Amino acid sequence: MSCHEWTNRIDDFLDGRLEAAEAEGLQVHIAGCPSCADEVASIRELRDLAAALPRSLEPPRDLWPGIEARVSATKVVRGRFGSRAVLAAAAAVVIVSSVVTAYFIGRSQAVMVTVEPPSVVESGPSEVLLASFEGLGVNNYLDTRTELLDALDARKHELSGETMEVVMDNLLLIDQAMDRIAEALGEDPENDFLMKQLAGAYRRQIDLLQRAVRMPAEV
Amino acid sequence: MGTGISMDVETMATFPVSKPVPPRAAMRVTGKPESRENSVDRAAHGDVEAFEELYRENVSRVYLLCLRMCGDQSLAEELAQEAFIRAWQKLGSFRGDSAFSTWLHRVTVNVVLGDRRSTARREARIKPAGDDLPVDQSASEPFPGQALDLERSIAALPEGARKIFVLHDVEGYRHKEIARLIGVAEGTSKAQLHRARKLLRKALAS
Repeated sequence: MSCHEWTNRIDDFLDGRLEAAEAEGLQVHIAGCPSCADEVASIRELRDLAAALPRSLEPPRDLWPGIEARVSATKVVRGRFGSRAVLAAAAAVVIVSSVVTAYFIGRSQAVMVTVEPPSVVESGPSEVLLASFEGLGVNNYLDTRTELLDALDARKHELSGETMEVVMDNLLLIDQAMDRIAEALGEDPENDFLMKQLAGAYRRQIDLLQRAVRMPAEV
Repeated sequence: MGTGISMDVETMATFPVSKPVPPRAAMRVTGKPESRENSVDRAAHGDVEAFEELYRENVSRVYLLCLRMCGDQSLAEELAQEAFIRAWQKLGSFRGDSAFSTWLHRVTVNVVLGDRRSTARREARIKPAGDDLPVDQSASEPFPGQALDLERSIAALPEGARKIFVLHDVEGYRHKEIARLIGVAEGTSKAQLHRARKLLRKALAS
């Protein structure tokens, strides 16, 4: 492996993200390469300096009066979340799903899509719904999403800016809906309706990413 | 392309599928646990005075985090205020599974990232001139020599590189989590960190 290739792996090495064999290879290379050894030492020094930076700094003015004025006029949100908020979050997921589906149909006939009925309340218990992920368990949802995002990132130069914007904007909207559902679940963890909505949101987000990754090249 | 995916960091603490890495700042909590728990409990029941106690205990950490991430003093003041207001509004969802300061740290990160995502109008106000951080230090010592140079250099970084560097190398987040928070691919987070480190080393060497 060339010096340049090793240099590209130094960040991963220092952050503990290299496989053991590769890390060992880099260490061997460093032992005989003053340039890479300097690079490692320099990054390590920077990292240590950053980690040791101060953690606190008083603001130049007291920020409390502005905060007090607003908190005094706002109640702490506690207890069960209002059904309106939950329904709004669920509705957001549904609207996003429908819009995205329509977008993909319009963009490319070559993409096989399934139009899902905009059902806010899914049938059956949440366990059944979760099981219907066909291998996409909740536990690996984040990994799956990250993998798909990486795949999309690798393809971003093949897709138009418009497509990428639609995809990313709608992922954000689904995330916001999931945030609201998750907040509500924090207050009411056993709520079956919320679980169903969250599972539906997971599924829609993965579906959106899969469609985007499979789209034919546009550019 | 705009930024894309996000997940409220404060909700991640209670999210059923996510185990966020505790930020370094959260491991350095000081103070009186019992008193703080009491303040949190009272504040959660609407006691503004108790919330002011929490503000006094935490404002310096919140403010510095905002300042490092946004690179602008007046914007950092606004964001710090917003973080406390958001915390007040969400105190009811704080379950005490983590320290209050940990939870507040996550709220703050989310407020800063959310602000950048949603309000492009603020971008014009962000002037990473690097002068905001050091100015206030003379009285309170904490930025000697190299640290001060580093703070200035961080403030001068391009926005994307700056926030990823702060989250990764200063706050101790991992790429996977940063990618999720900011709405970029993990590879993008790594590339931005590499860029930031390179720029910082160059700046510090000059």
